[in-house]
This record gives sequence, structure tokens and C-alpha cells, in this order.
Amino acid sequence: MAKGMFIDTTICTGCKSCQVACKQWNGLAAEPAHFGKRSGVTYPVADNFTGDSYDNTGSLSATDWRHVRFIEQIDEQRREKRWLFSSDSCKHCSDAGCLNACPTKAIVRTDLGNVVVQQETCIGCKFCIPSCPYGVISFSEESGTVHKCTLCNDRIHNGLGTACAKACPTGSIRFGEVADLRRRADARLAQLKGKGEKAQIYGYEEADGLKVFYLFTDRPGVYGQPEHPIVPQRRLVLCSLVTILTALGIGVAALVNFRERLNGKEEHHES
Amino acid sequence: MSPDNVQVPEWAWYYIAVYFFVAGTSAGAYFIGAMEELFSSAKEREVSRAACYVAFPLLLLVPIPLIADLGRPGRFWHLFIYNQGGYPYLNLQSPMSVGSWVLLVFGVCTLLSFLDNLVADRVISFPLFSRYYNRIPRKLYALVGSLAGFFIAGYTGVLLNVTARPFWAATSPLMGALFLVSGASTGAAAISLYLIWRQRNAGQEVARLESFDRALMISELLLIAVLLVLAGHTAQLLLTLPFLVIFWLGAVALGIAAPLWFKYRSRRQHFGGVPHLAHYLCILAGGLLLRISLLQAGQL
Repeated sequence: MAKGMFIDTTICTGCKSCQVACKQWNGLAAEPAHFGKRSGVTYPVADNFTGDSYDNTGSLSATDWRHVRFIEQIDEQRREKRWLFSSDSCKHCSDAGCLNACPTKAIVRTDLGNVVVQQETCIGCKFCIPSCPYGVISFSEESGTVHKCTLCNDRIHNGLGTACAKACPTGSIRFGEVADLRRRADARLAQLKGKGEKAQIYGYEEADGLKVFYLFTDRPGVYGQPEHPIVPQRRLVLCSLVTILTALGIGVAALVNFRERLNGKEEHHES
Repeated sequence: MSPDNVQVPEWAWYYIAVYFFVAGTSAGAYFIGAMEELFSSAKEREVSRAACYVAFPLLLLVPIPLIADLGRPGRFWHLFIYNQGGYPYLNLQSPMSVGSWVLLVFGVCTLLSFLDNLVADRVISFPLFSRYYNRIPRKLYALVGSLAGFFIAGYTGVLLNVTARPFWAATSPLMGALFLVSGASTGAAAISLYLIWRQRNAGQEVARLESFDRALMISELLLIAVLLVLAGHTAQLLLTLPFLVIFWLGAVALGIAAPLWFKYRSRRQHFGGVPHLAHYLCILAGGLLLRISLLQAGQL
């Protein structure tokens, strides 16, 4: 039975308790501030602080496995404004680019469908990083390996839900069996559409279905998610075929250039 | 797809692009040598011999940058053995996994060819190897090695294409083809440099190598043109500094167009057969700059 999460962004308040719970349960350190001098400023400034939003981490990283994205939309006249929130993490794709790319079997799928990195097997080749279309997986200089959300692998294999879902005060993050969550998501979508709101579920089709999927009230791009994510390994056959054809072309060119032996044999047969 | 969505692997150019270049040149040299071994007359073995003397020493350099770039270099053996189960592991969906195994096969073939030539040239004399070397199916490992060489030169490009980074993804499916052609070209240049260094004038063989390299460089220019069209707006970075210098001036102008023009000019003025050191060095430098620029453009 595949487990997953349904993130209803319409009832997220951006409280970040999920971020904190994730860090606490998984023992993740705070992202250290990188202070540096900036011209015209007399005191050192932290280069990695976003500084222009309530979004304090900016993106997912090796120590931020969950990131509450603040989408602050204000019109040019500064009269109309809208804040959207989206609690982002690994989507535990059914066809996972990171898992496909891993050359050492460090990234595996468990019996509950979640994708985890086995730290003792990872060699830190970083090939999984650009293979994830969602920009989830990150490298840690400290450990020399990659890290990402495990869907609280230890908790869910002991009958508990994820730490972020447990901490969410509004029920925006729901943990459970994927089939049940989909039913809940469909019902909520119908409810919103009934009220005339523009809403959509993100994650039913993408990467053969995401175990962690979202209810958005705008385009996925607004929430920082790719509109049409492609599992990159699906290009492998075409790329390989073109490369093989090129190799054949080079082989034929070489054959034309180095054909003396063949000509020699023909002449020998003729004589 | 926005670049914000996909994180950067931060592969250091001085490790990864250098690896792409050295492995591509070694592989390119070997399969050119194997082609002469397989299809040329038995007397004409200068290019084939030079290829073997170039391919193996270059390949010895390959694991160094490759392992150095790993976050946990001491665990490089996990590429071959699954540490938790203790059995050999190969992931057919991962170009990096398949590439690691093919590098092993290629390494064995280049080593055998290298030893074979050392014995034939009476540089070394292993009694056991000398006794049996004529019976070793030289053509078999030339064939297997050339196939592995084709793979090594091309898979590095395929590896970039099958990521979600916008520039690398947009250039799909041509990066493998470009790296393959470029590897063959730099391989041919490395063989020519070896022949110059050893002061061997292989006459007809070098002339054939030159005409082969000419065809490669024209193909390389065409591939770059199509690749840039495919890349569209994701290639805009190549029009900014430092890529204007390393890609357009270095890889394209210095590494391909200038040597091609020189070959054309020397052919018209009947300079043919006179090897020019700078000409081959330009091809090699261009091959390295091509890989550096394509690797870095995908990471910015």
C-alpha cells in the first residue's frame, strides 16, 4: 500500500510548523548564515538570507527537506495583493528521475513507495541532482553525499504519519494511503470548483503519479513547480539511438578511409 | 521548465570536463587505431600503433578526476559492487552506471593493445605473453575496444542530455553525437602529435587520417549549428562572457574553423603531409574548451 501526502495549499497559512517539525524529527541543522562584506554596507551581510520575503530558506537543500514557499503577488498600483503558500518537499515520484540516475543503488524505493537515499551507499557523484525535475535532491559538503525528504521513513514504517503532517495546524498536509488521499483531493477540488474557483490537482499525471501531490489555485509555475516536468531518462533511448547512428557514420567514414585491406583482398581474389 | 526548478550538480570543470576530454580523446584515438587495424593493410600499422600508445596512457589519467570529484572518493567501488548486498550492480537507465562498466572493458582492451604493441616493438618481453601474443585474437579486442571506445566518447554527452537542466535537456539528443565526433577528432589529433613526437612519417596513413579528421571537423561544425538551434533561448548564455571567448573563440574558431581552414589551405598549396604542431594543439585545446563551455553553460 503506497503511502503519500496531499498538500491542500488553499488552507496553508504559511506558519512553517512543517519546516520546523521536519528539522526537529530528522535532526537537520539550520542552514548556516554565510556573512560577507557588501559594497556600501558597513556591517557584514548574510548572503544566503532571502531578505525580501517571509520565505527564509528560499529553496530545498541538504538541510531543508521542507520549504514553505511564499508567493507574494502585488499589482503595479499596489492595491490588489494576494499571498499564496505552498509547503514543498520531495514528491516521491512513481517514476523517479533521481532513482533512475543513481549508479550505485544508493537511492531506493521502499515497500511503502517512498524514495530514500541510503547514506552509507551514496558516493556523492551528484548525477541525481540535475536528474530531478523538481530540484529536490541536494548535496551536502559536510557528509559528501546527497540528502532529501524520506517521507519520514522511520516513522511511517512504525505506523506513524510524517512529522510535517503531524505538526500542520490547519490540516493542509495530510498523510495516508495514496488512494484515500486522492479521493479526498477529488472531493476538495469539486468543492472549490463548485464555488467557481480556479483549482487543479498537481501530481496525478506527472512522473507517472506523485506520491506527494498538491491542490493549486493557479498554474503550477506560480507555485515554483515545473508546468510539464519530464523524467529525463525518458530521453535515453532517443539520445542513445542518435549517438549510435553517429558512431555508425564515423565507422563508415573510417571504413572509406582505411579500406586498403578490403581493396587488397578484392584485387587478390581477382588475380 | 525554469532553471529554478532544477538544482545544479556543481560538477567542477577541472575534474568533469577534463575527464570528458581525456576519456573522449583516448576513446577516439583507440577506435581510429582499431579501424586501421581492422581494415588497413598489414604493413600499415603506424597509426594503429600510435593509437595504442596514446589511448592507454591517457586512459590511466581518467579515474583521477572522476574519483576526485566524488563527495566520498573512497567509495568509488560502489559503482561496481552494491555495498549492502555485495553483488555486482549495473543500472541500465543510468549512463553513469553503464559508463563505469564500459570504462573497465575499454581499459582492458587498451591495456591488451598497449602490451601487444610493446611486445611487437620489442620494448618489453614477457616470455609468456610473447609466446602467446600472436595467438591472442588482436582483432577481437580491437573490435570490442572500438565499440567500447565509441560508447565512452559518446555517453558523456548522453549523460548531460538525460538530465533536467534546461540547456542540457534542450540540446537532446545531439550532445552524445557531438562529443563522439569531437572525441574522434581530438583522438586523431593526439595520434598525429604522437607521430610528430616520435618523428615517424607515416605518409599515406597520415594523409588518410587527415582526410578523416577533415570530415569529422565539418560534421562537428554542423552538429554545433543544429545543437544551438535546438537549444534555442537556453543557449543565450553562450552569447555572454566568458562563453564568447571559451566557446566561440576557443572551441569553434580556434579548435575547429582555424584547423579546418589550415587543412584546406595546405591541401590547395600542396603542403600536405607536413605535420604542424600548433594545428593539432589547436584541435586538442578546442576539444577541451568545447566540453568546458557546454558543461558550464548547463550549470549557470
